[in-house]
Amino acid sequence: MNARRLLFPILALSCLAFGQGRAGRTVPPARIVSFTAKPESVQAGQPIVLTWATENPSGVSIDPDVGRVAARGTKQVFPTATTIYTLKVGGPNNAVLTKSVTITVSGTAATTAKAAAGASKDARMPDGKPDLTGVYGFAGVRDLQPPVLKPGAEKFKVDRTGNFVGGRTTLGTDCVPLGVPQTFVTPYPFQIIQKQNFLIMLFEYPNTFRFIPLDGRPHSADPDPTWNGESVGRWDGDTLVVDSIGFNEKTEVSGYMHTTALHVMERYKRVASGLQYDVTVEDPNVFQAPWVFPQRILPARPDEERVDEFVCESNVDYSKYFGKQ
Amino acid sequence: MKAYLLVLALLFCTIPAATPAFAHHSTAMYNMGNPVTVTGVVKRFDWTNPHAFIYLEVTDEKGAKVEWQIEMMSLNHLKSYGWAHDTVKPGDTISCTGGAAKSGDPAMLSSLIKLADGRMIKS
Repeated sequence: MNARRLLFPILALSCLAFGQGRAGRTVPPARIVSFTAKPESVQAGQPIVLTWATENPSGVSIDPDVGRVAARGTKQVFPTATTIYTLKVGGPNNAVLTKSVTITVSGTAATTAKAAAGASKDARMPDGKPDLTGVYGFAGVRDLQPPVLKPGAEKFKVDRTGNFVGGRTTLGTDCVPLGVPQTFVTPYPFQIIQKQNFLIMLFEYPNTFRFIPLDGRPHSADPDPTWNGESVGRWDGDTLVVDSIGFNEKTEVSGYMHTTALHVMERYKRVASGLQYDVTVEDPNVFQAPWVFPQRILPARPDEERVDEFVCESNVDYSKYFGKQ
Repeated sequence: MKAYLLVLALLFCTIPAATPAFAHHSTAMYNMGNPVTVTGVVKRFDWTNPHAFIYLEVTDEKGAKVEWQIEMMSLNHLKSYGWAHDTVKPGDTISCTGGAAKSGDPAMLSSLIKLADGRMIKS
């Protein structure tokens, strides 16, 4: 008999036999693998490179001057006085680990007093409008009321029963764009790069983008149907309002497919923790009325400078792993 | 050659059950409710989105070598756990705990890995 076929039953049975499974949970401890500074002695204003590596953290920060950071990375700082930099790592059960390095600046005394500066929470464009540039995370939709469907529109409901290989927010495993607003539900970050008259959203999954003009233009008369649609933006005070049409029929909106008549209205407002996000979708071929989503926060990720490369090369035929039914 | 034995799921049937949002594809094809642990030698580590993979050579109880496909989270999640592209290397002996394919294929969605030096790290 094929050894592979033997392997799994043995594993599974042994696990069941010992009554293990969901009851217990191994939570690996957080660790500081390393935290160094080079060089450790400089003249005032000269650069120092801090380098750190942690594992299993619930949060990582460096004080002073740096603030929240990723689990591992490097950061250039320019101390003007002898400074003790402290890496703080959160772990299970509210444990906090710390490790410090001292940078000696010639002729100055040690200090740790200055608070972490972090990213500017109120960055503005030259015209005074909010500058939303930065990396943001996703946010699941809580307490979403199902839409009222038009008679006969039940066929648009996504069927996730049986051997459905797609995810909770994706239709399959082929890494096609997720569309709007579905992309903000899927657990990959996105990045905003804002200029005076336009804004670009870069989505890590699957390295796609939205171009949102801010110059007051109307929609095209007949936009090509695309995965992320055609968007135009404007400012309502400090709130960015984005209106999108021109979608193809291949994306999902929280459990429902749609037609090319999809119309998405979004509002983004910067708050301390990220972007306050409101969205309403319309599709007169599917929904009886505009579908209003609960407000949620797309969390700021000041620890990230950019989204990652995403090349969908490692997909496998997951359907075979269900086995015979 | 030293034989690396399959380690039955005695110690690590206690993986974190709260797998982070895994939205690129379903996890229904993996038996997440009855996690198992396999130990073997890393043959290849694919550090890539949408999911990283380790290909692990496991020696079963009859001495046959079986290559397990160990699927992990996306890079953004793995980086938040402290992973880097060289956290595991070909030749490392590691243990991976997670849900195995319901079909019996040597494939797993891993949520916890014991590295060559004994460190445990989420995956």
